[in-house]
Amino acid sequence: MKITLTVNDQVYIRDAAPSKNLLHFLREDVGLTGTKEGCGAGECGACTVIMNGKSVNACLVLAPEADGAVIRTVEGEALNGELSPVQHKFMEHHAVQCGFCTPGMLMSIRDLLGRVPKPSVHQIKEAIEGNFCRCTGYQQIIEAVLDVTGQLTKDNKGELRHV
Amino acid sequence: MKNFDTMMHVRGESIFIDDLPEWAELQHLAVVFSNVAHGTIKRLDVSRAAAAPGVTRVITAADIPGENQIGGIFPDEPLLAEGSVHFVGDPLAIVVARTREEAYAARRLVEFEIDPLPVVTDPRESFKNGTLIQPPRTFALGDTDKAWADCDLVIEGTAENGGQEHFYLETQIAVAVPQENGEMKLISSTQSPTVVQKAAARVLGVPQHAVEVELKRLGGAFGGKEDQATAWAVMAALAARVTGKPAKICLDRREDITFTGKRHPYSTDFKIGLKKDGTIVAFQAMYYQNSGAVADLSTSILERTLYHATNSYNIPHVRVTAAACYTNLHPYTAFRGFGGPQGMYVIESAIRQAAEKLGLPAHVIQRKNLLKEGDLFPYGQYTERCQAERTWDELVARQDLSALQKRIDQYNASHTDSKKGFALMPICFGISFTTLFLNQAGALVHVYADGSVTVSTGVVEMGQGVHMKIMQVIARTLSIDVRRVHTQTTNTFKVANTSPTAASSGADMNGKAAEIACSEILGRLKTAAAAILGHNNPGDIQIRDEVVWCEGRETQLKWKELVQKAYLMKTNMSAYGHYAVPNLTFDKTKEKGRPFAYHVYGTALIEATVDCIRGTYRFDAVHMVHDIGRSINELIDEGQVYGALMQGIGWVTMEELLYSKEGKPLVDSLSKYKVPDMRFTPETVSLHFLENADNPYAVMNSKAVGEPPLMYGIGAYFAVLNALAAARPGRELFFSAPLTPKKVLSFLYGEAR
Repeated sequence: MKITLTVNDQVYIRDAAPSKNLLHFLREDVGLTGTKEGCGAGECGACTVIMNGKSVNACLVLAPEADGAVIRTVEGEALNGELSPVQHKFMEHHAVQCGFCTPGMLMSIRDLLGRVPKPSVHQIKEAIEGNFCRCTGYQQIIEAVLDVTGQLTKDNKGELRHV
Repeated sequence: MKNFDTMMHVRGESIFIDDLPEWAELQHLAVVFSNVAHGTIKRLDVSRAAAAPGVTRVITAADIPGENQIGGIFPDEPLLAEGSVHFVGDPLAIVVARTREEAYAARRLVEFEIDPLPVVTDPRESFKNGTLIQPPRTFALGDTDKAWADCDLVIEGTAENGGQEHFYLETQIAVAVPQENGEMKLISSTQSPTVVQKAAARVLGVPQHAVEVELKRLGGAFGGKEDQATAWAVMAALAARVTGKPAKICLDRREDITFTGKRHPYSTDFKIGLKKDGTIVAFQAMYYQNSGAVADLSTSILERTLYHATNSYNIPHVRVTAAACYTNLHPYTAFRGFGGPQGMYVIESAIRQAAEKLGLPAHVIQRKNLLKEGDLFPYGQYTERCQAERTWDELVARQDLSALQKRIDQYNASHTDSKKGFALMPICFGISFTTLFLNQAGALVHVYADGSVTVSTGVVEMGQGVHMKIMQVIARTLSIDVRRVHTQTTNTFKVANTSPTAASSGADMNGKAAEIACSEILGRLKTAAAAILGHNNPGDIQIRDEVVWCEGRETQLKWKELVQKAYLMKTNMSAYGHYAVPNLTFDKTKEKGRPFAYHVYGTALIEATVDCIRGTYRFDAVHMVHDIGRSINELIDEGQVYGALMQGIGWVTMEELLYSKEGKPLVDSLSKYKVPDMRFTPETVSLHFLENADNPYAVMNSKAVGEPPLMYGIGAYFAVLNALAAARPGRELFFSAPLTPKKVLSFLYGEAR
């Protein structure tokens, strides 16, 4: 069946089997491979994208369900080729190791910051607990989110502290 | 310094294997796995599957052109089962089809009958049956038999630890593309390109020069792609050879969790003897390693358990024995720490038990027995530049233990539904492959005429930031901007005979090889520079921040111009550097030697609160003082410590592998196998790198960082246990990791043991 999607402000019209999920549709038919498959069962969060303003696991959405939807993926996170503030802070705080969970992580953070401009540590943990990262132990991801929301300051020893 | 390599990750532009464009006529693989843990194959009929829509071919052992064997250390691992199966997940056949969906659908049509044989899942039962991979090994120091008489307290006990699923985010994946002249190109998510190359050559019946293995990066590995990536890559190669078309295999998460190798469970008997003041006199242990159905790396892992049996402690009388016991479970394999965590968990259990009987806090015994400079390990090596006491003392200088104890005692006195506890965890981890010939690496460096530089080494980037570190080593050695340097794919045609990226040694060895290659190029460039400047002694030339200096004076000649001119002068601006770690020895007949280039030390403090109603717990704080040498990249090293810590905590707390009596794995997804999520992270984490701790034995005075901090996580077990002891004073302690909420509740409310 024919599916029309707006992904990162571009319109795509593609044929897809009714049983195809949004993740495979994005990766195989739209050609955006930034979104990753970690489990295919909605458990790991690697495939998180923003659909109509809310974060979803793309592996749990059927492509036909997304017909007409507005989607944002990691490829749409940078603005006119420039890294977004969250992307900058992810690099600055080394919130990335193997990089496989990063695209989904960034989308969950985008969703969080859209709802809560200055989240507490507890709110960060609650919002992103569905995005598994096996490399970082999450510390530097939390730091990056605190920093991008202006909640980190350097103490007199030059160490970063939560405001 | 920022890791430039992560730029593509945050943009979603990094190419992982599953992101590669599809080749024309690409075939997809689905593996038929045994559903019986042990048995004789009576019938295997692939005819219905072969006739299914889209199926190109169904491959069985009979189709293998070379040898049906991929075992690295021991030849006990057929690629496809012949005659018998030895674990649930033993591969029986491979369905090759046009699409992945067709391959997976046709897989269900493969018919097989297996006559069951007795199933063993317990390593102690395997030991009684005599089904060992090799005879047990013993490390000994002093005379334990005589030493027990000198002790004020001798206690015996057992410690059990479970396995651990790696849960790398990128599942096992490989693509094989047939080339001209009988060559095969393999793109494999492996930590060991050369291991894959050798195994594929063996199975295809071709020389190694006919198999190219290449990769750019892995989506996590942690040891799970050291030996365990091999089978899948070789299956893709086999399918590509048999069909003549490119072939791809990508395990789904359920297959990956259920059938691929994991950290080894151990069951251990220990005996420890101490003086009244807490001085450890003697330690003895018998480790029964559950090695799974194939040897894989089990014997090397077992060896490291023995090396780390005494952790950070100086114990004069030691006798530790370990047996690698075959069972009918999936393979057990490398996982960050490689047997070290299992060894350290046992000695820490013994100390905790002894503390209970002596009426001393465990940390008093721990501190009293820490290694000092010149102390002797049971394997014959002496400590050098020992930092055990320093990391401990710096930690307790930052965290006042008596104040902490007081605060916790007050909390526990005023709370009945929750209790707090804390524990300290020192670590001492030896760096080097204990299989000594693996301590070598190669790097191929090219300087191009435009001044840009590229490097290909034997190392595999899997998130640990090793490419960035190597770029920094190159930039420092040539004294150029790091942005001039790129790292290229790891490829067995560029750098041959590579060692696995493992044993925390990737940056140490490959960085050193790159440094050697750069020094060689630098020497030639200095000769060219001297000629350009009309100076007769290249020894007077230096490059500082991209500017050529001569006899200590800055010249007008800059890096780019130097390189351009050197090229026109026909200077060789490429070099291959090879590094072999010096002065490593080990005599297995005596079990003595100097197997490690150096040790990494550190100390962690972990504080836990247990919810005595629900059996759950949280970690209030983790503080660490870690010995990193002179860090090449502090951000990357911090990330390694944090990540390893959480994996270690996960291993001893929530990550539980379960099997049925028939040997069937009972966990197959994240909903059944819990790994730490963001909410599980400690409230406070602090990390301090030891200062003035240069390490002359590794590249640029740094220290390896991948594995050692995982073992800080072991302290989480004892922090929770101490909270439990506060809830039920006097109840006999137990040492059975992971300490799941279920075990917490059974300790609190079950019958006393």
